[in-house]
Parts: sequence; structure tokens; C-alpha cells
Amino acid sequence: MNDGPLIVQSDKTLLLEVDHPSADLCRKAIAPFAELERAPEHVHTYRITPLALWNARAAGHDAEQVIDALISHSRYPVPHALLVDIAEVMARYGRLRLEKDPVHGLTLTSTDRAVLEEVLRSKKIQPMLGERLGADSVQVHPSERGTLKQALLKLGWPAEDLAGYVDGEHHPIRLAEDGWTLRPYQREAADAFWHGGSGVVVLPCGAGKTLVGAAAMAHAQATTLILVTNTVSAHQWKQELLKRTSLTEDEIGEYTGAKKEIRPVTIATYQVMTTRRQGVYRHLELFDARDWGLVVYDEVHLLPAPIFRMTADLQARRRVGLTATLVREDGREGDVFSLIGPKRYDAPWKEMENQGWIAPADCVEVRVTLSDEERLAYAMAEAEERYRFCSTTSSKTRVTEALVRRHLGEQVLVIGQYIDQLDELGEHLNAPVIKGETRVRERERLFQAFRDKELQVLVVSKVANFSIDLPEASVAIQVSGTFGSRQEEAQRLGRVLRPKADGGGARFYSVVSRDTVDQDFAAHRQRFLAEQGYAYQIVDADDVLAGD
Amino acid sequence: MSTDFADWLRDREDGELRALVTARPELVTPVPAHMSGLAARATSPSAIGRALDRLDLFALAAVETLVILPAPTSYAEVRALMTRALPSGESDGESGMEAALRETVDRLRTLALVYGPDDALAAAPGVREVLDAPAALGPPAAEVFRHYPPERLDDLIGDIAGAPNGVAGVSPRDRLAELLGRPEVVTRLVAEAGPQARAALDELAWGPATGRLPNARREVRVATAQSPIEQLLARGLLGATGEETVALPREVAVHLRGGRLHRDLSPAPPPLRGTERTRALADRTAAGQAFTFVRSVEELCERWSHDPPGVLRTGGLAVRDLKRTAQLLELPEWSAALVIEVAFASGLIAASGTVDGEWLPTPAYDGWRVRATEDQWTGLATTWLSMDRMPGLVGERDDRDRLRPALHPDLRRSAAPEVRATTLGVLAAAAPGLAPAADAVRERLAWEQPRRRGTYRDQLVDLTLREAEQLGVTGLGALSAHGAALAAGDVLLAAKQLAPLLPEPVDHVLLQADLTAVAPGPLTSDLRRALALAADVESTGGATVYRFGEDSVRRALDAGQSADDLIAMLERHSTTPVPQPLRYLVADVARRHGRIRVGTASAYIRCDDPSVLDQVMADRRAVPLRLRRLAPTVIASKSSRPSLVDGLRAMGYAPVAESLDGDVLISQLDARRTEVSPAARSSTVVNGLDDEVVAAAVRAMRAGDAAHRERRRPVDAPAGQVPRSPATSTISVLQEAIRQGHRVWIGYLDSQGNATSRILEPARMEGGYLTAYDETRAAVHRFALHRITGVSTSTDG
Repeated sequence: MNDGPLIVQSDKTLLLEVDHPSADLCRKAIAPFAELERAPEHVHTYRITPLALWNARAAGHDAEQVIDALISHSRYPVPHALLVDIAEVMARYGRLRLEKDPVHGLTLTSTDRAVLEEVLRSKKIQPMLGERLGADSVQVHPSERGTLKQALLKLGWPAEDLAGYVDGEHHPIRLAEDGWTLRPYQREAADAFWHGGSGVVVLPCGAGKTLVGAAAMAHAQATTLILVTNTVSAHQWKQELLKRTSLTEDEIGEYTGAKKEIRPVTIATYQVMTTRRQGVYRHLELFDARDWGLVVYDEVHLLPAPIFRMTADLQARRRVGLTATLVREDGREGDVFSLIGPKRYDAPWKEMENQGWIAPADCVEVRVTLSDEERLAYAMAEAEERYRFCSTTSSKTRVTEALVRRHLGEQVLVIGQYIDQLDELGEHLNAPVIKGETRVRERERLFQAFRDKELQVLVVSKVANFSIDLPEASVAIQVSGTFGSRQEEAQRLGRVLRPKADGGGARFYSVVSRDTVDQDFAAHRQRFLAEQGYAYQIVDADDVLAGD
Repeated sequence: MSTDFADWLRDREDGELRALVTARPELVTPVPAHMSGLAARATSPSAIGRALDRLDLFALAAVETLVILPAPTSYAEVRALMTRALPSGESDGESGMEAALRETVDRLRTLALVYGPDDALAAAPGVREVLDAPAALGPPAAEVFRHYPPERLDDLIGDIAGAPNGVAGVSPRDRLAELLGRPEVVTRLVAEAGPQARAALDELAWGPATGRLPNARREVRVATAQSPIEQLLARGLLGATGEETVALPREVAVHLRGGRLHRDLSPAPPPLRGTERTRALADRTAAGQAFTFVRSVEELCERWSHDPPGVLRTGGLAVRDLKRTAQLLELPEWSAALVIEVAFASGLIAASGTVDGEWLPTPAYDGWRVRATEDQWTGLATTWLSMDRMPGLVGERDDRDRLRPALHPDLRRSAAPEVRATTLGVLAAAAPGLAPAADAVRERLAWEQPRRRGTYRDQLVDLTLREAEQLGVTGLGALSAHGAALAAGDVLLAAKQLAPLLPEPVDHVLLQADLTAVAPGPLTSDLRRALALAADVESTGGATVYRFGEDSVRRALDAGQSADDLIAMLERHSTTPVPQPLRYLVADVARRHGRIRVGTASAYIRCDDPSVLDQVMADRRAVPLRLRRLAPTVIASKSSRPSLVDGLRAMGYAPVAESLDGDVLISQLDARRTEVSPAARSSTVVNGLDDEVVAAAVRAMRAGDAAHRERRRPVDAPAGQVPRSPATSTISVLQEAIRQGHRVWIGYLDSQGNATSRILEPARMEGGYLTAYDETRAAVHRFALHRITGVSTSTDG
């Protein structure tokens, strides 16, 4: 009997025993084709999905390698049905190829005539195709390159895009590595992207995804369009690029609600791009404003649907997506695969933490017992009001205050969903509140003050969920969240995961009302983190208050 | 029946007869009384059909050659004709052919399909009739033109020979046959007919030799022929055999085939092509699948214990229930159907006997469940091999375009066990670790059993290959060691081969902060049960992943465990410390569990009069009942309801057990079972007979034959009619005669309704028939009992 660290389950999950001597070897072998789903302390769970297998194919792995990796590391015999399935699914990728024909332009060619015939019969696909060029290839309307890939993926025959990219307008960009260097994984990620052509790089929050973007730009040496989630994030990208690359202030433009600059490197927000007036996207011309050589998508997992549609028209340009997670709450992972590209690089959080690239974090859930009156009010509340009620109880406020007091002298972020609650907390804690209506300049002033440790406590709403850089926040207290969003929980934890100057650990508190829907939602959100290996500790609010 | 065949059979040596009986066991079930009986049985169409079905392509070609040659022929002629059929350009073909043909003819003699010495070789009587189109050839010319009126024949002969039938004393039909038998004539006729007609002939040459043609009997002459087909009809190269059918006369076809009967004949089976696998890898993969399959069956039975699907009115399982089950088992539907069917055929599930029946595990399941995995597997796999049900047909449409449901009686296919056995036989013939391609297997089977080919058969073979893989009989397409042992019928060896490849049971789990427990292998049954109660299974396979949640922990507490018990159990079986969130979860659930006072009591006493309950509590005899006063009118007890009732009765009270509506104390579901254990199903395949039986059968026939030949001369039946006797006495008299070996005189209505009388020596009586040696006709016959009008014991007994 083989004594490998891997156990293959019939539902296509792989269990990896991390304490096993050859666990590391095994992880390297399976990572290309299995998506890490959960990484708690002892046994990591990987899942083999069609997308993951196609990612592996795109990265040049074949079914034999996958099967060999499974068989050689598996502790128990691998069920044959699974192996057959893997081989079948993998064989589907690359049967169809998008190629550039010198005469006919973009063509869809096939190594398997039956597949081509099947695809041609699809009503959805027919209008995207032009003239039939012999038995094995057919012309494709250049404008349909993206939508065709989407449609083919839906049919289960993902096409390999070998049609190449336009070089774009040349623009010299170089990393200014003065006193700092790219971390090895950042370099690997950028290289992996560049060799793959287009695709997604998965790195945890705080792992320096911006630098991966910068390195990708240095590879491309071309004008670049960067799409980010919001204005603050756009500023940060700009600051970071100025600091880390040869780019100067004049070369970087911001295309946001306030400014509309188009420069060799332009940073635009999703929001601006998706603004519509009278049903028309007003800023679409940005995509054609220059001959972009590279498009960077920050936080790919948040990419809104209209951007997907626009991206479908950008298939001839190199695209790199940056994200902490491929999990999309809307389940559009397939669109990311077909429109941005396959996954090119990823590294599990916990390993990066072990290597010291991100700060270790302790997660504590504080269970608040509602007072009798609150409990009665909760029981009588309308169903749709219940969550709001139990997430904003005054019991929570008291506990939050106690927690802030406990971490006096540390940089503390209080994060919440409901503005009333945040305002009340701000008042009690005597701390400024950043919310949707806070002006950008004010926000940045406050962030700077927080960075400079003039401010020790900051109360933020969900506007701060993404892409703000608060290096020295070592404590985050979450008082309420967007129902059960796991992805939000990950982002919020990311706030405190950046490496601290003193190398100390971070603490993430989640204050939850016991025996209410709040607890249920919290359980859902935390599961994600527990699965990332952040062991949750649960304490009673009474213990917190008692220690106060 | 030809007597020389019977004589030839009689002259065979005992060893040869034993070989015959071993190869064709159906000939001695029941044992014939004598050699003539054996000969009769061996030449009956059904027996010949069965024997021919077992022949490989080469042997069948030899039989076909013999049938086509005029009987008797010689070995040399057969060889000459068959040598021509070898693929051209093979130098070693002829020498290989010689040995193979010699062996084949001997084998055919052994099978009594061919008889006579080398210089007078003939197919056994009846073979010609069973092979209706030998070598896919049409009927001989004499047959094709049999229905032609003489004047048409004369016209044909005139057109062919250029002169009317001139030979005196020869019928026109024979003359035509003779003409078509001459190669130079046929060559000339084909040339005359033209190239289009030639193409049509080539279509028919290698069979099928008949075609459809409207108004086939039209009268065409060479002068009037227009279409290519008419050119052929006018020259006798095609003949009308019906209003709308034409046939290619055999003589013409043989000529078109270049004097050969077969093409590319090979004395050896086609080689098995396929992928080379490492034997060990194939074994391991198969074992993995075997393990998965056994677990699936277990999962199925567990699920159906609590939530059984209903039995359809027509029998079977609703399509919806199959879908649901497939989802539960995380299998595709066809695979789930296989699991269900095998479990059913193994007697692990059955329809409950009630009117609104449900599919439930049988008591046999409880016995099966505790067996070792390898034994569980051999049990299932043996059943699969021998069952006559075809799970692969589930979900297909039947003749009336209805979906075939699983577990339906219609899924029986009598050929299934035999196809499975032969398919595995082919796999076993491949080199170890070779995974033959499906079409290679089909090709091989087509060579081994050419008479059994067909799309239906191919479908069964494909399904068998798929099922074998799913069961873990094969791994990566190659027959595994345990699969080979199973196919060879050695169940113990199969279990022994499989056991070391299976995961060993473990007695620990890994607990994690995300509230999961991972069992890195199959758990010991105690631990598995404990965990199944306290956690939900999230993923199965080599390992099992359990997830703890509020509901599952509550379920454990509901079933009577305390939080401390639970944590203690986890601490005992976890190799890692119990994570704080899990402890907290258990404590938290237990905390609320207590709040609404759902204890682990199992019965209660209720009484409107508090003073009575005071009495009960005060009574010392109540101590063992472990009572607890919950309220003035309620006492809870940890004793079970029956013991509480018994205890109270012993104390002189008259308690009445109360139903639990609304006050459920223990909510664990009862697993249910059917009431009776139905006999495990398997089809009755005539398997090989063992040597002793064979020898005894041959001895018996020899003895019977000797006795029979002593009095071969027919005996005249006594004059007069046998008195009529009532049916019951007929049977008793016959029984007595069989027992004593006496002769009887019977009155018998033959199939035409004529009253006859016979002298019989009854041999056996079964199924409404009497088998007896009829002395009046000197042969063994079967007599329908209901046609026997009367019987009297023979006077000269």
C-alpha cells in the first residue's frame, strides 16, 4: 500500500494531510490542476473542477501528468471513474483553437471534426462565425472573439486562444528597484502571466498584487489601462507606480469621477466605466482612446457584469487579472476564465504567512448575549429587519468599546455595515467615521493620519472594504457585515494582514449576537477564513467585559 | 434421422463420448435412454443451434464448407476449399492452417457436429437445416429456380446457352443449375450483362445474397432487358424467390468469390489491441473502484433505510427516485442504477410486501454490512456476473417509447450472464495489464462466437465493459487480479487478492477548526456510527469528511448523548487536540438544549392527581425506575417505556402507555427492513458438468443402448383398444411402471387425432409429458399425458 499524503474522494475533492513528510511535494504536484478550497490546520481540501483542469491544460499539463500525480501521491487506490472523467474533461480543452490566419484573419480550427460540427450546430454560436474554410476551420468575426470563447466554454469545449495579441503603443516602463526588490513569488507570478499571454494571478491580500501588476507592465513595455474598484484604490495604484517604477506623474492618468485624464498609463474605476446615461455607457471610448498594450484588472472577483461585456471586445489586448480569490459569489468564474484568461499563478495564504510575507492573524469571534429586552424585540422584529436589529444592538457597542480599550495604543479599525451604528460607535469611541458620503480628500487625510499614528482608532463602513492600504492596522473589529459574504470577510481580514513594521501579529475580532441570524451569517463568513487556516477562537462577551 | 450418424456415435469410444457430453451438457439433461436417443437429441435443431453458437469463426467456416460441399466429402476437399479463403500473401498461412484445420475437424467430431472418417466426412444431420445461409451464400440454383414454370426455365436456358434445353432426360431446372455451375458460362454471362450489372452482383456476392425488388417475377428476356437488374434476371444470374425478393444463386456467388467460400479466414483469433498498463496500477485502480462501489451500495441501503422510495405500480423505481438517489450517491444515473440493481440482485434490497410497497433493505443487508469489505465486494461482483438483469438498459426507451425504470422486471436479459462471462474471458485472455479497446473486444468476440454477433450483442458487451469498470472488476480497462480470480470462479482468491489493496480501517480522525473531522480511511464501525450521529458526512471516498454543525450536534444530544460524552468521544479518537470552536459549538448547543429542558429521559408518567405521583415517588420499589419529578403531575424516567409500564404494574398500578404525539422524547429514526428475505436471484445457467456426472451419463447411455439394441425390432401393438382409464390412475400406473421398469400398453391420440395404441417402456414423467421407449416404433418418444386415453400394464412385462 502506498503511504502518500493524498486521499482522493469520490466527489472530486482531494484531501492533503499537511503534516505528512511529503505533503509539500504533493502540494506542488496537484496545485496546477486542483483549486485549493479549504486549508485548515491539518487537512487541506483541493477540488478538481473542469475550470481547474482546463487551467492546467492551458499551463501545459496533460491528463497523464494529472493522473500520475494523483496515483503516485494517493494513499488509497484512485477510483477509476474519476480518472476517466479527468482525462475526458482535459481532452476537451484545445480541441478548438482560435488562430490568426494570414488570409482569413481570425479563425476557429479544430483537431476533431465532430466537435467542430457539434459547435457549429449551436444556435448561439452560428451568428458569431463567418465562412467555413474547409473541413476543420471556420472564420470568426473578429468582434466576437470574446463572446465566442464564453459561449464555447458554456458548451463545454473551451477554446485555446492562440490568436495572439496586438503589441499596443510602445511605452518604456521599468521597475525602479532601488532599495527593494520584487519578492520571488511576485516575479514568478508576473513571468507566469507573461508567458501565458493573458490570465489571472491569485495572491492573498497584502501580498503585493500591485507590484505584480507593475512587473507585468514592465514586461509589456506598452501603454496600460488599469481598472480598479474605486477612487481611493486608484490613488494608491498611482502612488505605488510612482514609487516603484520609472513612470512619472505626467505619464499616469486618472480616469475617475473627478478627473478624466488619458495618459500612457491610465487608471480607471469600474464605477466610471459602468456609468450609464440614457442607457449608454458614456466612457466606453476610453478602451479605444489609445492603443493599449496591456489591461490590468484589479480585484477580478469583483468585476461587474458590464465590464465583462466590454472585456469581450478587448480580446486582442493582453489582460492580467489580480485577485485574492477566484471565488465569485455570483458564480461567474467561467467568464473570468474565458474573458480574462486562465489562472496563471497562485499561492496559498498560509504558506505566504509562514514565509513571512503577510502578517499572521488571530481571529476571535466575540459572542454577545442579548439583553432580555433586546431578545424580546428581536423575536418580534419583522423578518427583513431582524438582521439589522441583531447586528446593531447596543450590547455590541459596549463590547466593541471594551475591545478598543483592551487594545489601547494599537492601530484599531472598526468595520461595520450600518451607518447609524458606525456613527454611534464613532461618537462613543471618539473616533472619525469614514463612510460613503465622506469626501475623497477627507478620506485620504484620515487614512494618512491613521498611517502616521496620529489617529489610533478609525471607524469605516464598507467603502473601505477594498484596496485601501492601511499598513499599520493591527486590530480590526467587525461589528456587522453584508449578510454572509465570505469574500467580504476575506477582504476585511486582508486589512490587517499587511506585514507590520514590528513583525507582530494581527488580530481580527468579529462581534456577533448570540442565538440570532447574525450568528448564522457570521458562521458562514468565518467558515471561509477557518478554511484558509485561520483558526477561530470563540469567546463570550462577558469574558471580554469581565477582563475590562 | 439418419441411422449411420447414430451408428457412428455408437462406435465412438467412451472417452470421446465423455468429451461430447462435457462440451454439450444439454444433451444429457435428462440422460437419454440409449445411443439413438443421444443421436436424436444431438441432431435436434435447438441442440445444433446451441452447439454452433459456441463455435469460433474458423470452426464455423469449416462446418459451412462441409455443408456446402456435397455430402459425404473428404477432408482434403475441405482443406483445399478453405485454404483458398486464407488471406493472400501470407506465406505461413497454409502450414498454420493445416494444423488448425486438423484440430478443428477433430473438435467438430468431438462435438458431433461433423462425423465420418476423413474420406467420407459429413456434417451431422440437421446442421444443414440450421445453417440457413452458410457463409452468407444464397440457395443453390436448383432451389432458387424451383418455382419457375417450365416455359420460363426454357427461356432462361435458351438465353444462357444460346439453344433450348437439348439434353434429353434432364429436367430444365437441373440443366440450368448445371449451366450456372460452369465457371466459363458464368464469366460469359457476367461480361454480357454489363458493368453496372456487375457492380450490382458484387454488392450481393459476399452477402446477404438476397435483395428486395418490386415485381421480382417479371418476365424478362435478354432481348427485352433494360435495367442492369433485368439483365441479371434475364440471364439467371439472379432469380426471383418471391414476389418482391431476388436471390443470387449459390453457384454464381461462389464463382464471383473466386471459388472461395470465405475471405481472409484466419485460423487464429484476431490479436487484442489496447493500451498497456502496469498490472499493479490497474489492480490498484480497480481496487479503488471496488471500494467505492461497496461504499455506494452501503450508502444506498443506509439512505433507503430511512427514506425508502416507493415501488411503482408496474414494478420498479420511479425515474424521479433514481435521479434523487443518483444525486445522493454523487453518481451519474446509469452508475446509480447499477448500484441499485446489483444491491437488488444480491438480495440486499427488496420491495416490502405491503400494498403501497417501498424499496427497503432486507435483513440480509445487516449481515452483509458487518462483513469485511473484500467479502462484501466478492458477494456483489459474483451476483453481478451471474445476474440476468441488465442495469445498462435503465433510462433507455422500450418498444413503446417509455423510459425503462430501474428494478423493473423488464430488465431481465437471459443472455446477460453469458455475455459477461465471455467478455471477461476475452479480457482474461489479454496479456496482464493490457487494456483492450472496446472494439478489439467486440472483434475478438465476433471471431469467437460469430453466430452471436449483432448490434444488440455489441451493446451488451459495451455495457458489460462499462459495468466491469464501475464495479472494479477491471481497472483502467485491464482485468485486475481480483477480477481475474472472480471470472475464474475463485471467490476466495478474489477476496484474498483484493484485501491488501483496500484501505485499512482506522480508529482516529483529524479534527479541524473549520468544524470538520477527517477520517483518513474507513472507520471502525463503532466510530463511524458515533460520528455519523454527531456530524454530517460531507465527502466520501478513501477518506470521509464530517462536518459538525448545530443540527448535527443537536442530533447527537437528542439521541441521548451529553456534551461531555461527545467531547470525550472526540478527544479519545482525535489525534489532534479538539479545536476550541468545536468545543464551543458543542457547549453552545448543549446550553440551549438544556434551556428548553429537553433531557435525555426516555419515558414519563403523567397523572392528574398529584397525590398518586407522591405515592409513586415515595415507593422504594420505584428506585430502579430512575424517576424524576418534573412537575406536580409529571414524572420523567430514564427507564424505557415498557420497563416503566412493567415496573409500575409490579407496584400495583394500572398504567397505560401513551402515544408520543407531540411529546417526542427520543427522536432517533428507526431503520426499517422488509419482513421476509427473498431468495437471492441468479439465473440458471447450464454450467459445465463435473467429470463424475459425465462419466455416469455415458455409462448409463451405453447400458441403455445395449439393452435397447437387444430388442430393436419393433413390437406389434396388441390388437384392440386399450380401455379408457381416468387420468389419476393413468399417472399412478405410469409412475409405478417407471419405478418397476415395467412395460405398459397405452392408448394414445397422436397429433392428428388418430387413436393409436403403443407398447411403452416408460422412462420418466415430467412437465405433463411421458418420456418412454416406444417398442412399437423402436424409438424414444415423448407423449403428452393428456393425450393418453388409457393405460394397462403390459401382459408380457
